[in-house]
Amino acid sequence: MIEKIVCDGNEAAAWGVSKAKPDMVAVYPITPQSSLAEYVAQFVADGVIEADLMDVEGEHSVLSVLQGACLAGARTYTATCGQGLAFMFEPYFRTPPLRLPIVMSLVTRDGITPQCVWGGQQDAMTVKEVGWIQMYCETNQEILDTIIMAYRVAEDRNVMLPVNVCHDGNYQSYGVEQVLLPDQEMVNGFLGEKNTNWHVALDPDKPMGVDPLTGGAGGVGPSRFVRYRKGTCNGMQNALDVISAAHDEWAALTGRQYAPLVEEYLLDDADYAIITIGGMTGAGKDAVDEMRLAGENVGLIKIKTFRPFPQAALLDAVSKVGAVGVIDRAVNFGWGCGPVYQEVLGVLYRMEKKIPAVSFIGGLAGADITINDFKNVITTTKRALNGDPPKSTIWINE
Amino acid sequence: MGKSFATLAFYPDKCDGCDECVKACALVHDDSGAFEHSRIQLAKDENKKFGLALCRQCSEPECVQNCPVGALSKDPETGVITCDDTCVGCKICTLSCSHAGITINELTGRVMKCDLCGGDPACVKVCDRNALKLLKNSDLFNAWGNVEDLVAPGISSCLGCNTELLFRHSLRKIGSNTVLAIPPGCTAGVGAVGVNGVTATKVPSFHPLLTNTASMLAGIKRYYNRIGRDITMMAFAGDGGTADVGFQSLSGAAERGEKMIYICIDNEGYMNTGVQRSSTTPYGAWTSTTPVGSALKGKTRDAKYLPIIMMMHNCEYVATASTAFMDDFYEKLDKAQEASKKGMAYLHVFSPCPTGWRFPPEKLIEVGRKAVESNIVPLWEYSNATKRLEFTHPVDDPIPITEYLFLIGKYKHLDASQLELIEEIRDRRIEMLDNISKS
Repeated sequence: MIEKIVCDGNEAAAWGVSKAKPDMVAVYPITPQSSLAEYVAQFVADGVIEADLMDVEGEHSVLSVLQGACLAGARTYTATCGQGLAFMFEPYFRTPPLRLPIVMSLVTRDGITPQCVWGGQQDAMTVKEVGWIQMYCETNQEILDTIIMAYRVAEDRNVMLPVNVCHDGNYQSYGVEQVLLPDQEMVNGFLGEKNTNWHVALDPDKPMGVDPLTGGAGGVGPSRFVRYRKGTCNGMQNALDVISAAHDEWAALTGRQYAPLVEEYLLDDADYAIITIGGMTGAGKDAVDEMRLAGENVGLIKIKTFRPFPQAALLDAVSKVGAVGVIDRAVNFGWGCGPVYQEVLGVLYRMEKKIPAVSFIGGLAGADITINDFKNVITTTKRALNGDPPKSTIWINE
Repeated sequence: MGKSFATLAFYPDKCDGCDECVKACALVHDDSGAFEHSRIQLAKDENKKFGLALCRQCSEPECVQNCPVGALSKDPETGVITCDDTCVGCKICTLSCSHAGITINELTGRVMKCDLCGGDPACVKVCDRNALKLLKNSDLFNAWGNVEDLVAPGISSCLGCNTELLFRHSLRKIGSNTVLAIPPGCTAGVGAVGVNGVTATKVPSFHPLLTNTASMLAGIKRYYNRIGRDITMMAFAGDGGTADVGFQSLSGAAERGEKMIYICIDNEGYMNTGVQRSSTTPYGAWTSTTPVGSALKGKTRDAKYLPIIMMMHNCEYVATASTAFMDDFYEKLDKAQEASKKGMAYLHVFSPCPTGWRFPPEKLIEVGRKAVESNIVPLWEYSNATKRLEFTHPVDDPIPITEYLFLIGKYKHLDASQLELIEEIRDRRIEMLDNISKS
């Protein structure tokens, strides 16, 4: 019998963790992730998560204890957001080159200042170059399922990288939906034996120095460093196939098929499209549906996997349309546009035909991007298709 | 690794030439007590400086090597050089000995020399000025000399580095069933965690961030506990990575009672990066960020006294230690290892640095000893089981602080008012510790 529950995104994440059976979980509460930390603690107290819980004194130590545990061979989980992620950055920065398969929920949040504890994606977008895999979820069910799949990806020998499963703060952290809990035996089979420290380990039975210094400016030092960097880079690129395979297998087991990299929604006959990421996608799809009824040939492209960036899949998708409008929930300060937009431009360069692309920034500080907002996005993108693109980034909710 | 033996040591500065030792020796070995039957002889020069002719029980004795009949031999158990009946009284041994410690008994015609009175020398007992001592430090060597050094030879520390001494001794004492965390600092810098893929330690070691040593070790330990493996977690962290930027994770781990031995190597500054001040740099000390100029003369605030702060965290065991008192340190390592099965054991080891403090490398142990003897570095321990702080090397009659401070270049600018303040700081600290120990 399939178990159905009704819960918010934070609880869905905790259920996903319970199914993945980590050995160690460490959490420190921060809005809007706090209830996730509480769910994890309660689940451990109730035996739903059979892990050792480490309540440490801050996010910096959260990731540090997990690095230690992971180097000893543990499967690990944590969650954070916003300022917590900022405080965690020192060990965070270091997790990918250590090739530690840690899974972390990133309940995305906007940055301060001015003081803001609400949703946004500035935190995740700020750390996108560090080497963590980033997957963004649209529904609570997808949050739960993606956390389980994340372990499969992180622990794959061709990947061995940490994964951020992102869901939007406020909207998804507190938004309640029906969620199906997967069967434990099925998850066990899907994930298999944990595969966490076959390469580096801290174990007196096989003594080794983990992460020694690379020597000076000449000779073997830099070349060793370059190989480290390339190795991490290759792991990232390998992840594209591994993520796709994990999604396919998950779909075969559960019947729940998510686009692993890029989802195309009503795209095949579309003249133009909007590009979304994360929880905003639902409202975006509703807006597309309504505009379709009004006779507009518009489609939607959802980016699920943002790191590694799905260049080929996105190129396939954008090649089908004549203009795109990209909606960001974060700011790229150096370019005066959104970060996802900036990434999309990189793919558009590889298209044979140059097409217009418009940058929209919305949903900052927890603001709602309504169906009406999306309709305006669609209308503006159509104007760009017809040769009248806006001169600069459009700020929604201003 | 061989065996080491006890030996008699003579401290000429303390000798007043009373001859009691000579008398006592003669009485033990001959009822007459005649001076010529004594195995040690006192020599005086015109300035009333004293020298003692005595056998040092050399490890490679010239007397034994030069004896033409093989009458002399070194006892493999006691290390005492003995003479058997085959001695022909040729006196070649007496010519070979550079210490004038072996002579001929004119009555018997046989060799006569110190036999250490079976391990309890009469001369030492009668010397009320402590000018003679039976040094038994060799016991320590014999106990640990054959234990494997878990650090590869030839690490790249500075000349006279205390950290290397501390590192090698601690690790061989704690043993190989250990995971090491060595954050950035001198220990990591000398190659302990390795360079270009080659590590200097024979146990698994990790180079954590400067900031997260304790939490990272806690994570490893918790997982090994979970899977039922009993492995010691040990940190070698400098004072910067302990008292400053690493303090949050240390404090958190201590509060949670994480099971580990955390050793802070306190060389009173950031020595690995160019001798900058840390929060354990003492008042008045020169560093490259507390320089001496016309307006300021060294650090203007005193050190954060971390061991007491750790004691207040309810650590299982807290102790201060010094490599100049190695037997004391070894005992504390034992207690720390035992305590680390229950919670955090924190050792704060005073670690003079010839390079950063500006003193000659050969003065290392002298600096370490005088710091303790002047009460600037009191040695104590605290156990959570007894809730007691106890001095392990009480110094009731401290030497003047200047005997310690003026050995060290970083203090050479100190003026009278600064010296006074340092003395005050020292007295306050001792008084505080004393009060805690009595409470």
